[in-house]
Amino acid sequence: MRVLNIILNGKAVTAREGQTILELAQENGVFIPTLCHSPALEPAAMCRLCTVQVIEGGRAKFVTACNFPLRRDAEIRTDSPEVRHGRKLIIELLMARCPSSPELQRLAVEYEADLTRFSSLNDDCVVCGLCTRACEAVTGKTLSLAGRGTAIHVSTAFAKISDFCIGCGACVQICPVQKISMEDVDGERHILLHGKIVSQVKLPRCKSCGKYFGPVIDLEKVMDRMGEHLIPPPNADTCPECSRHNLAVKLGKRYFEQYGVFREEGQADAG
Amino acid sequence: MIEATQTALTPSEVTKIMSTEALAEYRQKLQAQYDPNAPMIYVCCGTGCQAAGSVDVVEKFREILVGSAWDGKVVPMIKPTGCHGFCSRGPLVIIEPQDIFYQRVTVNDVQEIVEKTVLNNELIKRLQYKSAGAKESITKASEIPYYAKQTRLVLKNIGRVNPTEIGDSIIRNGYAALAKALTQMTPQQVIDEVSSSKLRGRGGAGFPTGLKWESCAKQEGLRYVICNADEGDPGAFMDRSLLEGDPHSVLEGMAICAYAVGSHRGYMYVRAEYPLAVKTLTTAIRQAEALGLLGKNIMGTGFDFEVTISTGAGAFICGESSALMASLEGKVGRPRPKYIRSVEKGFRDSPSNLNNVETYANIPSIIANGGNWYKSYGTERSSGTKVFALTGNVFNIGLVEVPMGISLMEIVFGIGGGVPNKRALKGVQTGGPSGGCIPIPHKIPDINVGYGKLAEVGSIMGSGGMIVMDEDTCMVEVARYFVNFLVEESCGQCTPCREGLTRMKEILDRITQGDGREGDIELLEEIGKFTNNFSLCGLGTSAANPVLSTIRYFREEYEAHIRDKKCPAGVCKKLFHYEIDPDICTGCGLCKSKCPVKAISGEKKKVHVIDQSLCMKCMECYKNCKFRSVKIM
Repeated sequence: MRVLNIILNGKAVTAREGQTILELAQENGVFIPTLCHSPALEPAAMCRLCTVQVIEGGRAKFVTACNFPLRRDAEIRTDSPEVRHGRKLIIELLMARCPSSPELQRLAVEYEADLTRFSSLNDDCVVCGLCTRACEAVTGKTLSLAGRGTAIHVSTAFAKISDFCIGCGACVQICPVQKISMEDVDGERHILLHGKIVSQVKLPRCKSCGKYFGPVIDLEKVMDRMGEHLIPPPNADTCPECSRHNLAVKLGKRYFEQYGVFREEGQADAG
Repeated sequence: MIEATQTALTPSEVTKIMSTEALAEYRQKLQAQYDPNAPMIYVCCGTGCQAAGSVDVVEKFREILVGSAWDGKVVPMIKPTGCHGFCSRGPLVIIEPQDIFYQRVTVNDVQEIVEKTVLNNELIKRLQYKSAGAKESITKASEIPYYAKQTRLVLKNIGRVNPTEIGDSIIRNGYAALAKALTQMTPQQVIDEVSSSKLRGRGGAGFPTGLKWESCAKQEGLRYVICNADEGDPGAFMDRSLLEGDPHSVLEGMAICAYAVGSHRGYMYVRAEYPLAVKTLTTAIRQAEALGLLGKNIMGTGFDFEVTISTGAGAFICGESSALMASLEGKVGRPRPKYIRSVEKGFRDSPSNLNNVETYANIPSIIANGGNWYKSYGTERSSGTKVFALTGNVFNIGLVEVPMGISLMEIVFGIGGGVPNKRALKGVQTGGPSGGCIPIPHKIPDINVGYGKLAEVGSIMGSGGMIVMDEDTCMVEVARYFVNFLVEESCGQCTPCREGLTRMKEILDRITQGDGREGDIELLEEIGKFTNNFSLCGLGTSAANPVLSTIRYFREEYEAHIRDKKCPAGVCKKLFHYEIDPDICTGCGLCKSKCPVKAISGEKKKVHVIDQSLCMKCMECYKNCKFRSVKIM
């Protein structure tokens, strides 16, 4: 692999060919703000917050750090006045859309954003696309971006309750503005988008303790991916806690058979 | 398009052409059947003329020609053709060999045309073209300034061939360049020829075509040739006319490209709003395949090239190359966020060569006549010709093809015939929603149209939209119109384009409503520069151009809207009113009779007055006053 000579904010560093600017910056302790980036997912370069200036072969241009692959020697400015000014505008524009996000509020302070310039839209979604990309990676079909222009929004197909959701909750965890939530009600897992139910997934009852646990389809999906032989069959209808417990009991029994010391379940500790 | 019945050149009668010699023989055979001195009636059947009733005109001609007494004379042939380009005068009829030009022909004129002109060589005055202000009408099509001042290289066949008849194209050397490339040239020689012509992409960005082909040819594995026919700029219809009028030139260009870059698979992405183009293209591909000029083993050379038509779903953004390819793959048409060129990884992650319709249409003549011949037109940095869709406040509306480097004033006045209604020229908008307004003749006396020059004055070549604006055009409203268009057409993926444009629209809306604030111009400039630098795709990075260029040249108009709450051009209804100048008014009463809300009062030969409480600012009095006594206040 070719090694590239990069000047990162005035400091000479080396980079691997094909490495993104964001990766290089992180390796060298340079912080670039991101909103739509997750190392686990393909970059989408949608929020544009990570835009930096690159000077390659004498030509300066603005590129997004999350997905710009370094191919030749270059100079990178991650914090120039132009870059900072652009980021400030992005934050102002997004804050007008989603004022309650702690991440945005923090950035607004750092970039001295003027929050009075744009009237509030209170849409509450920054359209970073993280949930849709996470969903695509897991199920491939539940959440996607629908509409275009300002009307673009996260939605299930035809805004109906989705048949494809497996209730994994990846979207809930990844949402940077906490606008997707999840609740387990009466043996059903609900995923809520802006407070509206978009998916209902049945939860199985644990054979051992009788509690509802992780969604059925989720397990099927896991079984599907892993191949059935890899998962001990009882685990499909036992909750994780009971599974752990049962396994411990099993191991304990084996230990007793070998060494003759074992206390049955439920027995009080004499020592 | 109407199917041809008289020119027995339907490909079903011939077997596949299995060698380039066979193509030449077939051409000779067709040419022998064709008598250049025989009477021929060309009727424009482009979308514009069809809307004005040209299909009925063709039918009527057929009906009458069959029924007429010919007394041993040669029966004239009737040829429905693609767009002649002079759309504002349609339906157009040209009668050969005399080259007689008739405009605005209706079904009722057909009988007379056949009796007088075709049979007795007599001219019909009322159907003839007259230049603005001229007394004498012009007989020949080639003498009309609109046509005479053009240089038609790409449009050469349009209006002379029936696009549903492949034979018509073959007579005019169709597929000869493909035959030459396949048998006499290596792929590299084809690329070198295109490179030497210095042809640049006609879709807008102006990337050198030869260079693009060269980088695509260098790639490994399966390659695709894609034609971008998703023409979406408001007011632009160059590609549509090419596809409707001369589809074989485009197909031949694509086939030559495929040979040069080593591809066997082509896609034509046409917008669904062009049903006639899709239909014509489908017929053209079927006929070319039947003759063995497309498909497997083209002309027996062993070279395969298949073309598939794919229609869009009405999204402007799909004209952007990566969004187009996503749409072609069946995905949502959004630009992809990757810093990789489509010649390396494009459609289905394979190397893909994407060019615009007009670019491909230029290729056959470059291969036939050589790059040096092509380069002899135009300028050093912008070679060849460019087709523009001339629209707006100009006499002659339609398609014009001119050599690069031509003066913009010459296009507007020489070809376009100037601005109607005795209004003054205020500017010309080029490049569609990504372009800018050029303030000729006041702030910039004139410019030579070329990629570099247009960029210098803050506009772009674009795909060729050219909107002429007169003094009654409000530049703030123009900017608002384009931003509004882009807000609706933005894909919404990236923050600057989605949010930035929406805010620009919000600001422009309030300025045109009279609620503009101090600092709004600066804020527009700030957001505009930001969206141009920070957006994801080409649409976003050029979206602010209409705003930035109008601010650059017409800042005082913005200031008048904001500070004085006045719209100097009299367009933004809340910001002006009409008054009749008592010193000029002659009391003719025309305005009074035209006013739809009876807001004007006054006795004959006495000064008239407008009742402001009734006036709805419809512009009727202003437009109709012969003495220009109605003033915008």
